[in-house]
Amino acid sequence: MAERLVIDPITRIEGHLRVEVEINDGKVTDAYSAGTMVRLLEEILKGRDPRDAWAFVGRVCGVCTTVHSLASVRAVEDALDITIPPNAELVRNLMFCTQYMHDHVVHFYHLHAMDWVDVVAALKADPKATSEIAQSISNWPKSSPGYFSDLQKRIKKFVESGQLGIFANGYWGHPAYKLPPEINLIGLAHYLEALEWQKEIVKVHTIFGGKNPHPNYLVGGMACAIGLDESSAINAERLAYVGQLLKDAKEFINQVYIPDLLAVAPYYLDWGAIGGGLGNYLVYGDMSANGYRDTAGYKFPSGAILNKDLSQVYEVDLREDAQVQEFISNSWYSYAEGNDVGKHPWEGETTLKYTGPKPPYEFLDVDQKYSYLKTPRWKGHAMEVGPLARVLVGYARGREDYKEVVDSTLSKLGVPATALFSTLGRTAARGLESILVADWAQEFFDQLIGNIRNGDTRMANMEMFDPKHWPAKAVGVGHTEAPRGALGHWIVIEDQKIANYQLVVPTTWNGSPRDHNGQRSAYESALLDTPVADPERPVEILRTIHSFDPCMACAVH
Amino acid sequence: MATHALRRVFVWELPVRIYHWLNALAILALVATGLIIGNPPAIQTGGEAYDNFWFGWVRYIHFIAAYLFFFNFIFRIYWGFVGNKYADWKNFIPTSKAFFKEMWEVIRIDIFLARNKEHMAVGHNPLAGFIYFMTFIAFMVQVFTGFGLYAAMSQSFIAGLFAWVPAFFGGDFGLRQWHHIAMWFFILFAMVHVYLVFYHDYVEGRGEISSMGGGWKFIEEEAFEHDEKLHQEKAAKKRVKS
Amino acid sequence: MIQAPPTKTRPTYYEELQARGHSRRDFMKVCTSLAAYMGLEASGVAQIAKAMETKPRLPVIWLHFQECTCCSESFIRSSHPIVSDIILDQVSLDYTETLMAASGHAAEAAMHKTMEDYYGEYILCVEGSVPTGADGAYCCIGGKSAEQILQETAAGAKAIIAWGSCACNGCVQAAKPNPTHATPIHKLVSGKPIIKVPGCPPIGEVMAGVIVHVVTFGTLPELDGAGRPKAFYSKRVHDSCYRRPYYDAGMFVESFDDENAKKGYCLYKVGCKGPSTYNSCGIIKWNNGVSYPIQSGHGCIGCSEANFWDAGPFYRRMQSFPGFGIESNADEIGLMAAAATGVGIAAHAIGTNLRKSKLIDAHINEGKESEQEL
Ligand code: HEM
Ligand code: HEM
Ligand code: NFV
Ligand code: SF4
Ligand code: SF4
Ligand code: F3S
Ligand SMILES: [Mg+2]
Repeated sequence: MAERLVIDPITRIEGHLRVEVEINDGKVTDAYSAGTMVRLLEEILKGRDPRDAWAFVGRVCGVCTTVHSLASVRAVEDALDITIPPNAELVRNLMFCTQYMHDHVVHFYHLHAMDWVDVVAALKADPKATSEIAQSISNWPKSSPGYFSDLQKRIKKFVESGQLGIFANGYWGHPAYKLPPEINLIGLAHYLEALEWQKEIVKVHTIFGGKNPHPNYLVGGMACAIGLDESSAINAERLAYVGQLLKDAKEFINQVYIPDLLAVAPYYLDWGAIGGGLGNYLVYGDMSANGYRDTAGYKFPSGAILNKDLSQVYEVDLREDAQVQEFISNSWYSYAEGNDVGKHPWEGETTLKYTGPKPPYEFLDVDQKYSYLKTPRWKGHAMEVGPLARVLVGYARGREDYKEVVDSTLSKLGVPATALFSTLGRTAARGLESILVADWAQEFFDQLIGNIRNGDTRMANMEMFDPKHWPAKAVGVGHTEAPRGALGHWIVIEDQKIANYQLVVPTTWNGSPRDHNGQRSAYESALLDTPVADPERPVEILRTIHSFDPCMACAVH
Repeated sequence: MATHALRRVFVWELPVRIYHWLNALAILALVATGLIIGNPPAIQTGGEAYDNFWFGWVRYIHFIAAYLFFFNFIFRIYWGFVGNKYADWKNFIPTSKAFFKEMWEVIRIDIFLARNKEHMAVGHNPLAGFIYFMTFIAFMVQVFTGFGLYAAMSQSFIAGLFAWVPAFFGGDFGLRQWHHIAMWFFILFAMVHVYLVFYHDYVEGRGEISSMGGGWKFIEEEAFEHDEKLHQEKAAKKRVKS
Repeated sequence: MIQAPPTKTRPTYYEELQARGHSRRDFMKVCTSLAAYMGLEASGVAQIAKAMETKPRLPVIWLHFQECTCCSESFIRSSHPIVSDIILDQVSLDYTETLMAASGHAAEAAMHKTMEDYYGEYILCVEGSVPTGADGAYCCIGGKSAEQILQETAAGAKAIIAWGSCACNGCVQAAKPNPTHATPIHKLVSGKPIIKVPGCPPIGEVMAGVIVHVVTFGTLPELDGAGRPKAFYSKRVHDSCYRRPYYDAGMFVESFDDENAKKGYCLYKVGCKGPSTYNSCGIIKWNNGVSYPIQSGHGCIGCSEANFWDAGPFYRRMQSFPGFGIESNADEIGLMAAAATGVGIAAHAIGTNLRKSKLIDAHINEGKESEQEL
């Protein structure tokens, strides 16, 4: 007999995600994912100054902060045909790399780790043995027996207080937890260390953008002027600060994050065959040392893969009407032209129409509209976006750097390439691209220094800043590869004002309700066949959902 | 045509005249500095900050003028109770139907330019009085918004009295916006006011312009009597009431 | 100063047992079985006993409504104290969707346990605004509307902390036309002390500072007229801005990346809202004092002020004038009005000479006659 299980709130994500699944014989047989909060920023943006848009859309999300601001200034610059100075491109890249490293590390430790690491079991670990394991997997200095035993004492005291705080009611002791106590203890130690580290790396944003979360952007470049002999500009001290932060970040990724990932994965290799889902992957691409318009130089190459077929990568065009489209057949919106049409974002509409049950409710009526996420499709296909998509496209395009990290990891874990199409693959891909990003950040930084050394200190192109110079009507699209996947902003400017603004966001791709043809999107499809040992404690469902790193504020906006 | 018998009437007492010109001066200074504060010109682009303070001075003048404006205004309110009948507060606030009737009369004659008519008034005509009343309200707005803004940057007791104002306007943004918008009322008022003073002087020939200098107007006998009658009626009404 | 309602000295677990007539022996039995359950050695029993005889950490329930979670993100950026110390040693963060291990019913159960066990004693933190449109359907968690959850949890809270501009004034989703009727907390809850900590987001150390104040001193921080802690919101950004000397000297950045920008002149003319914004950015700065918006070359956009989204545009000092398009402001409208007035005056002057000519001539003749009579 099928059992309907509701998990709401799904925690350790950004925002309000609700999952309803059918369980038969200990396995998920059907799944529905719903975003249950809406703000309607696309409507709020209408009529405003396009130069201000980055600040509004920046507030779409404070977890992947900066990515929407970046896409936004790019959309406006595209519409107004503004070319920004190379230094501004590099600074944007650096801020973006920073976002990646921060987001991925925080996801791994603070949002995902407790799906694999049993915090309470860590209390049983032997500090000495823990130290030995830690030292065998990494040179990270905080690894002495004393360090682990102090930590263990601290956590013991915490647990003994009876006030378990964020650990209360966790699924501790669940048979799906497979790690030895020592690795649990390492995980817990690094949970706390990562919490301290993450507040450091974001200082790159603070230096260039004045604050984090929500650093400042500027249409035409960046606002942080370069002036080596000025006290208030980006000077040698500021640059050295950035350099140090990037170096520390790389060290943390290579000495803590990746070793932990590789230490945990072998206990969960069965998850290399669970949670694969769609098998269609989409990447818009980003991050060229020569700037956003140099698509050939993208370190994240763009492309689409269908049906797990890595032998063919399709080209993606965000301007073409029939490629990216959004549907609302199962979303709480209405389109003027009816329920089942797809709309390219330049023609997009966001008209709220809630038809779900009145709260408080127990179940959603999933035969009708059941989510605030729209349903994006690429040429009609449901696509997965995110780290796994990027790694697969880079790999399929034959890029050496991708091949190296992917192949060496596969061989270390002793699994075939097909294991990538899974929950474990998604989580691993996030780590692998972090290694790459940490290297690229170094490259961009060196290049910025080189530019300045050669006398180029330009940071903004203000020629078109004044709306007097703008055409009566202009359209633009700005894209990026946000940590959670392909992100695009489409803008229509009329009479110096925003006439339409549409965001199609990574988590919208992954977490959307099914489309007019009943096709599931990535979450719903990945959940199929997930084993659930105890529906009261559905840690397995969390594993697959968390492997996508959901961000619902992004997805609905 | 017979020459009218003219009466020399002492209309504006010295305190009113001093008030008037201090007020005009303060407003001139406040508008000029206010415009600069709102949109400073790019005049200082080199050198060191410690060598310059011009923008500070502009603001300083604005604040000095603001105090002058404030106390002068308080004084004028006081004088509305103790000054002569032309300075009385009742000239400004419409209290009777007759006031509105008169006002309509003035509009007909002075604004819609009734052919070859002139209005009979010694002090303010009712329309002018009413416009000054609006002006006083604008003064209040400017004083409240101005001192409300100033409260955050001043230790002074007076500014402190207005510390509650920003919250009333939903924060400093709205407050500044209103303060700035209200400035335009003053500019428009001054344009129309000065023009009308010339207009009256030109059309009626009663020495309107010089009256704010020496206090005297030169009024036709009939006009004076008409005006006296109005004043007396008002006074009688008051006596009956009390 | 708003005084927190006095915390009743909560009995420790041991005292509770005693009150119910149990002996020390019974208490130790409970401790032993707990230790066994947690898989601890015999030595652990004593520790458990000690812990259960000491005062509990301040329980905190942290709700998430219409938000972007940047307030939580900012909170975990705090450098003093660092956040792991706060959540392990100072408070018991019993519910927060962003970090807690449990999901779904287990998460809700953790929240309800705190609401019952610590009725009248827990601090309720709210991140995000509450949409009141569509019967609350615009933000639902566990099938309940944000407003329902807010009212239930507020009832037993000792005080409420409204994090960020969302909870304090609705932030971006409340910007015109506020399609979901995003509503700040103070408009929905009454009869509870509410500490507003505005900012988009607030500075991490400010957030930590507010919590630490409550934990360390057992009182709520003193608030200003707008309900914000005076310690962090009593000065305008402009009052503590290190570029202030340039402002007073009238030395302004005219356009981004110009010479003046490199020299760090004042950003007033490119739209800085520091003169109208109350926040600690110039004093505490961001991310452990590294910089703040102005120091990195961009004007303040006023993110801690109510309705700052509708006080734009961000790159000009003057606000847009409602109903007159993007490039309109009070000065442009004013100039138009002045021009119209000038035209009106000119027309009136011409009209006067036409329509009152007889009268004027009469006066002139009168004057001439009088002259002759002299
Ligand atoms: C006729 C009277 C006044 C006029 C026309 C006037 C005009 C202005 C204008 C146009 C501004 C610039 C506003 C902006 O764009 O931000 C300003 C600023 C200001 N005014 Fe006035 N104002 C008047 C009276 C006052 C009074 C009575 C005060 C009381 C103290 C005052 C205090 C201020 C303050 C504090 C500022 C802001 C200055 C700053 O932030 O540096 N004003 N005024
Ligand atoms: C050439 C300059 C000016 C002249 C000759 C002048 C003359 C006069 C005269 C004759 C009156 C009495 C008018 C009547 O009763 O209808 C008057 C009243 C007044 N004027 Fe002016 N004025 C001048 C400029 C200004 C300016 C620049 C302002 C301020 C914006 C101003 C503000 C006022 C006010 C507020 C009154 C009412 C005075 C009272 O009774 O309290 N004047 N002015
Ligand atoms: N989905 C999503 Fe984001 C990301 N990464 C943005 O575009 O998280 Ni807040
Ligand atoms: S106040 Fe700003 S920073 Fe905080 S949740 Fe709201 S949008 Fe995000
Ligand atoms: S930069 Fe902004 S806050 Fe700083 S002095 Fe200038 S106007 Fe004031
Ligand atoms: S924009 Fe916000 S961060 Fe500070 S400088 Fe202004 S209050
Ligand atoms: Mg959208």
